[in-house]
Amino acid sequence: MASPEVQTVADVRALRDARRTGGTNVPALVRAVLSAMRMTLVNLFRKPVTVHYPTTQRPYPDRYRGLLALVYEEDTGEEACIGCRLCEFVCPPAVIKVEIQKGEKRNYAKAFTLELYACEFCELCVQVCPTDAIVMMKSFDMATSDRRELLLDKDRLHTIGLQHEQSWATGNRLRDMQGPPKLAKTAAPKKVPPPAAATPSAAPKEGAQP
Amino acid sequence: MSPAATPARVELDYAGSERLTMNMGPQHPSAHGVFRAVLTLEGETVIDVEAVIGYLHRCHEKLAETLTYAQYPSIASKTDYVAAMTSEFAYVRAAETIGKIEVPKRAEYLRVLVSELQRVASHLLWLGTWCMDMGGALGGGATIFLYTIRERELILDLFESLVGARLLYGFFQVGGVRYDLPDGWATACRETVDVLEGRISEYERMLEDNPFFMARAEGVGVISRELAEEVGISGPLLRGSGVAYDLRRADPYSAYADFDFRVPVESSGDCLARYRVRMVEFRESLKIVRQVLDTLPEGPVSSRPGLKSVAQTRIPQGEAYARIEGPRGEVGCYLIADGKAKPYRMKWRGASFSNLAVLPHIIPGHKVSDVVAIMGSVDPVFGEVDR
Amino acid sequence: MPEWLLPVIAPFIVLNAIIGIVTYVTLLERKFAARMQSRIGPYRVGPHGLLQPIADAVKLMMKEDIVPDAADRPVYNLAPIVFLAPCMFIFATIPFAPGLGVADLNIGILFFLAISAMEIVGLFMAGWGSNNKYALLSAMRAVNQVISYDLPFIFSALTPVLLAGSLRLSDIAAAQDGLWFVFYPVIGQLAFIFFIVSTVAAENRAPFDILEAESELVAGFRVEYSGMKFALIQLGEYAHILGASFLGALLFLGAWSGPGPEWLGPAWFLLKAMFIFLLVTWVRWSFVRIRVDQILALSWKALLPMTLLLLIATAFVVVWRHSGVA
Repeated sequence: MASPEVQTVADVRALRDARRTGGTNVPALVRAVLSAMRMTLVNLFRKPVTVHYPTTQRPYPDRYRGLLALVYEEDTGEEACIGCRLCEFVCPPAVIKVEIQKGEKRNYAKAFTLELYACEFCELCVQVCPTDAIVMMKSFDMATSDRRELLLDKDRLHTIGLQHEQSWATGNRLRDMQGPPKLAKTAAPKKVPPPAAATPSAAPKEGAQP
Repeated sequence: MSPAATPARVELDYAGSERLTMNMGPQHPSAHGVFRAVLTLEGETVIDVEAVIGYLHRCHEKLAETLTYAQYPSIASKTDYVAAMTSEFAYVRAAETIGKIEVPKRAEYLRVLVSELQRVASHLLWLGTWCMDMGGALGGGATIFLYTIRERELILDLFESLVGARLLYGFFQVGGVRYDLPDGWATACRETVDVLEGRISEYERMLEDNPFFMARAEGVGVISRELAEEVGISGPLLRGSGVAYDLRRADPYSAYADFDFRVPVESSGDCLARYRVRMVEFRESLKIVRQVLDTLPEGPVSSRPGLKSVAQTRIPQGEAYARIEGPRGEVGCYLIADGKAKPYRMKWRGASFSNLAVLPHIIPGHKVSDVVAIMGSVDPVFGEVDR
Repeated sequence: MPEWLLPVIAPFIVLNAIIGIVTYVTLLERKFAARMQSRIGPYRVGPHGLLQPIADAVKLMMKEDIVPDAADRPVYNLAPIVFLAPCMFIFATIPFAPGLGVADLNIGILFFLAISAMEIVGLFMAGWGSNNKYALLSAMRAVNQVISYDLPFIFSALTPVLLAGSLRLSDIAAAQDGLWFVFYPVIGQLAFIFFIVSTVAAENRAPFDILEAESELVAGFRVEYSGMKFALIQLGEYAHILGASFLGALLFLGAWSGPGPEWLGPAWFLLKAMFIFLLVTWVRWSFVRIRVDQILALSWKALLPMTLLLLIATAFVVVWRHSGVA
């Protein structure tokens, strides 16, 4: 694969030597060297940008995509997850596994496992969730020496949800932000909306139904 | 003994000259990722270079056949992980071209905004790693590296408050973008842009006319204009050799036709020319960012409703090739759709993959130290090369 | 005290003091470089990182000593010692105060320059004995570079010798009572600049550190050394830098002269040596490195003629001054 057909070694050398400027401009040289050294000296007296990490915490922005968690409904205190498995289907690396448990008024998730060590933190599961059950936290501190601790089951996910601060993004907020402008755009609906088609004409009905 | 399998390596040629075969192996502080260059040296001069790639192959193209149009954009970031927005842009544009999906104006402007910010961030990383390759991890190179990383953190902070992630975003979706600007973001962006302009002037002061830097960069790795046009390189490599070709002007996509910016072209073709091209691109990108912030229209950020299920987006049968001017060159995505929720075939045109083809033409004749300088100015990212 | 005791104790004290200073000089360099790069540097080990060098030393002592299978055993094992010994010897002739030194030879500076040129043997032994192409390439570059820069180093160091009229280091220091040699019009400043440049190059510090170029040769001739042998090589390198800083302070900055009582002399000496060390460090962290052929061109085509001319000019000045006075 060696022989270059378009440019030969001699061509390279010729091109390189043609660019060489003859002679050295000593004052310009000295000035350039001192200018570079002055730049480092200026930075010597600037405040460092690094902080002492565990003692100084960084303020995380509102939309930070950190650890995943399951949350409870605000008004009833029940688990918000209805076991619909939409997050399981949308997850690109398929780290979520859900088992549905049917109930009289609403469904629950019997088992919910999330393999955090393979999670991409892409927020797609948050986006599709119809009940805002799975959310991301404003924290990522879960370094551990045992990978099994990162296989999160439902209880662990609920615990994480109570321990840290939740970020802004929930399913309904993201969907409201992305779609064409709808009528109901303010707060996320508190009840479980009926699984209607995602057409704008369904929007007024959603807000009206109890 | 199988003759064809093992390539012949001449260790010592006793007929006078001494040739050494040295491996600038996949694990190397300046391989820019995982790249193996088998150099044949005569003393300190490189006679031949054989590039071996494939150490980072992760089957992206097959993966795209198993993921839907809603799932793949966040994976697409991982090809060119230094400039993640570019890869997502190419994939999403290809899907939109086949499906003839309209993208709202605000979404187009936001796409341009993040692409240009991403270009600045990618060039900052390029400058830092290139100087570190030339200067050493314990030396002046590291100083410039830490300065550029410090500035890149400002841009990543902006992305973090917009998207929630710092490196691999998932910002694009078919039909628009996923996130709208939060409150106060535009002000923060303007402040960051002002700080960056000042810092870029600092780098120029540190490097321009610096005799050590010029000695390493001037006349090194010259790509002649004929070679540039024949080999198929793109991006700053092409523009540093005198070919005025920038996709944002030659084949305008998204909202680039609405903005006023200059495309820098240098004619000398050496590392210094490519450096100059990228330094001008810094400032031009910041100019575009300011224009976008000034003229950002109101409206929705996506023409498709928000994602409710994984197979929501179906693209009708067709094929398209969408190309983007990324920081490294032309990033292209060729998509064949067949009406389902997953594409039939997707092929990436990696900018770095085609740019690496120029190495065996320009490296022989230089010294070993020039190899790293040239590699740095070619600026490959091996996620794009190996996919 | 018996006659023979002092010459035995003095080197022992000096060696230990030098080793102590060398370890803390690494911390000084790391903090200084960190502040220039907008970061903090070692902070957690001890208050403000003051125990970091101790931690590094303990770590290196506890590391496994890996010897490559195909290495040339005697050469490989002896190389760190052959490299370290001259770097320690150079402190023998440096007087830390009038009358306070290990051996104030009447050819003091000649001894320093000759011994410091001996390290190149150890360096090449390390590169050859490792049986590694990277190490060999680096060792060959090193021999080229150090030999090329020793000549301008010697000539620029000889300029103060001419001005003082003696090879004995304490005489040179005493001759700077009135005016430090660096303040001599034109000659002093030029000699100081050439001395700094050739020191930086002869010690393989950036921008002339082509032989250890991490980004190309991954630690160069040291690449196959681990554990205590690596520690010895590091010790030797920093001791050489420190020795050259002390020499520079003595030749150009007036050694122990400074305001205050006499017993503060060694403290001033240390301060001046640290100033030169920080100057060298500042240069190191500001520039990218240049290629080996450019380094050699700089030495042979620029530095050597200029230092030679400077030496001849200094000789003329000295003769003119003596004939003017007498």
